[in-house]
Order: sequence, then structure tokens, then C-alpha cells
Amino acid sequence: MSSADRLEPAALQGRIDHLEAQAREAQRTIDELNARDSLKTQFLSNISHDLRTPLAAIITHAEILREGMLGELTPRQRDSVAGIVSGGQQLLDMIDEILTYVRSASDQVTLVRTEFHITEVVDQVRILNQALAAKKHLTIERLNGDDLPPVYADRDKVKHVLGNLIGNAIKFTPDGGRIWIGFSRRGRDGEELVVEVGDNGRGIARDHYELVFREFAQVDASPSRPHHGTGLGLAIARKLVELHAGRIWLESELGKGSRFFFTLPLNPKLDQ
Amino acid sequence: MKTRILIVEDSPLVTDAFSVLFTEAGYDVDVAATVAQAVERGGERPVDVMLLDLTLPDGDGLEIMEALRKRACLPRATLAMTGHCDAASRRSCIEAGCADVLIKPIPIRELLRQIERHLA
Repeated sequence: MSSADRLEPAALQGRIDHLEAQAREAQRTIDELNARDSLKTQFLSNISHDLRTPLAAIITHAEILREGMLGELTPRQRDSVAGIVSGGQQLLDMIDEILTYVRSASDQVTLVRTEFHITEVVDQVRILNQALAAKKHLTIERLNGDDLPPVYADRDKVKHVLGNLIGNAIKFTPDGGRIWIGFSRRGRDGEELVVEVGDNGRGIARDHYELVFREFAQVDASPSRPHHGTGLGLAIARKLVELHAGRIWLESELGKGSRFFFTLPLNPKLDQ
Repeated sequence: MKTRILIVEDSPLVTDAFSVLFTEAGYDVDVAATVAQAVERGGERPVDVMLLDLTLPDGDGLEIMEALRKRACLPRATLAMTGHCDAASRRSCIEAGCADVLIKPIPIRELLRQIERHLA
């Protein structure tokens, strides 16, 4: 350091005071942003809860009509009422997705870990999505996994992650496409399970790999986008995987398809 | 005599929908919007089935179970209803004497089936 760079003690103290003031200001800004973020989360929670109740009433009334409890409907009337039920159900699923996000964002989600075979959960989710996939003539197949030891995880949360990944694949794979679920093991003793959900759909550009896991983010956010939703499915999947101390990522090629991967701990006690 | 059902729920939109459903399904329907009302209705005459919302304006729905148990007039079956249920809340409901916990909204066929099953 040259003599010209050397600061007098008073000037040095002045510089330190200035930096400390800046640090305090930055902390105030962080606290304020955190407080606003909590308010936003609370607002989302309240509004979602309040939307759920009237929607539940609409669906129940429509179901009563659809079931002919208030008199037989003509086929066209029945189709129309069935549309109210399915539209309402779709809206409800979106609200539930927001509530799940809010709970995970505000650390209200706790894991209830048990040992279970992941293939059972995958097969359940496949069956649940069969009707939706059939509409687009998509196949959903499980490639392997019969010989895997149990995982030690929260069954409902893992089901949620798989549901979101498979739902996403159905949404972005064109008619006649293929969706698959496969497993591999890694780690020194194979103690970690890698689950893959792949599709031969439209794919995701490398620039958007991070974006798709971000809350409320959609690669095509325009009002005319062909696929609507909360933009929370993959963000929730990421949070739920991370709660298990796992990792989630994707590999993709535009026009060829996407492969989403996540890791879960296997139960070492039972892997004999 | 008709099977008596008590709907404990603070949203009139939901109680209206359930009233239509259960009346058409042949039940004798009564509604309560608060813990106090539910304890009063439940104590007046025997209830066969109580559909119980857990969050009420004047308290927790499970307080009704405790109050009715003290008066020895617990319904034959109580089904708790909630928008979200984790393992701990489910356990408290079952420990309080609920026969089951249903996640709202419950498809009506499923709801009617559950009620019949618990009354059998």
C-alpha cells in the first residue's frame, strides 16, 4: 500500500461508520421484504381458504343435479352440469396447489416418514392419471423397480411430487406421446434412489431449466399460452423433495422431450 | 322414523347444499353454525350422524364432542370434515370419538356411502 492509500485513523473510522450504516440499512430492507413476503403468504392462504368454501358448495349442488336427485335431467342437461363439476374440481385442485405451496413456503409442512415401496405409489399415480393420458392417447409406463428396497420417506408427499411431475408431462406431451418412470441407485452403497419421470414432449430450453422450478413461473406466461395452471407444480415438487434432503433437476432437449429426476433416501436397514 | 343428521358448519353455502342433498336422500336434517348451537341441538334429541366442521367461529369442533359426551348424548357416528388434515389432526379427531375424518369437498356419492357404512 502506498502512503497515498493509507487512511488517517479518523477517516478510517468514518469509513467503518459508513459501512455499518449501510449494513443496518440493508438489514432493515431484508426485514421489511421478509415481513411483506409473510403477508403475501398469509394473504394467499386466506384467499385460497375462502375460495374453497363457496366452490365446494357449487360442486355439491352440481353433483346433486347431475345425480338426478332433484329430477331426471336430459342428456344435454346432464353433460352441462357434469361440466360444472369438472370445471369446479379443476379450480379446486388449483386452489389446493396454492395452499400446499403456502404451507411449504411458511414451513408448515412436516414429514411423516414411513417405509414403503415406491413402485406402489408410482402405480397409484399412473392409474389416477390414466384417464387424462388416454384423452391424449399417451402411454405412461413404469420401466423397472420391482427389485428395489423400500424408501424411507413421506408417502403422501412423494405421491404429490410424482403426481405433479406426471401431470406436467401429460400437459406438455403432444397426442400419441410417451411418458415413463424409471429408477436407478447411486451413492457409494446405492443408498440413494434416483427417480426419473421422462417424456418425449416439446422439451425445455436450457435457459429455462431453473425457471421451471420457480414459484409462479411459466416458460410461456402470455395470456394466450396453451397450458394454464398456477405455475406452482414444479416449485412444490422441488420443496417437497428438498424437505427429504433430496435433489430435483431436469435434462431436456427442445423438440425431443424432458427427463425430470429426483432423489430419495433408501432405507438401508431393509436393503439386505 | 327418519335417520337424523346434524350438519355442523359455519358456511350457509355449504349447509344449504348439504341440506338439499340429505333431505333428498331421505334424512331428517338439522344444522348448527357454532359450537354452542351444535351442543344445544345435539342435546335436544338424539342425533344419528353428525357431520362436523372442525373450525367454527366460537371454537374447535371437537369441543362439541366433549360437551355431548358429558351429557351422554353423543351421536351414533360423527364424521369430521376438514379442508386439510395431517396425521396429528386425524389422530386428535379419532381420539375425540370421531368415526372418520373426511377431506372437503367430499363427492356426494362417497359421503352418502360413508354415512351408511358408519350407521350399519
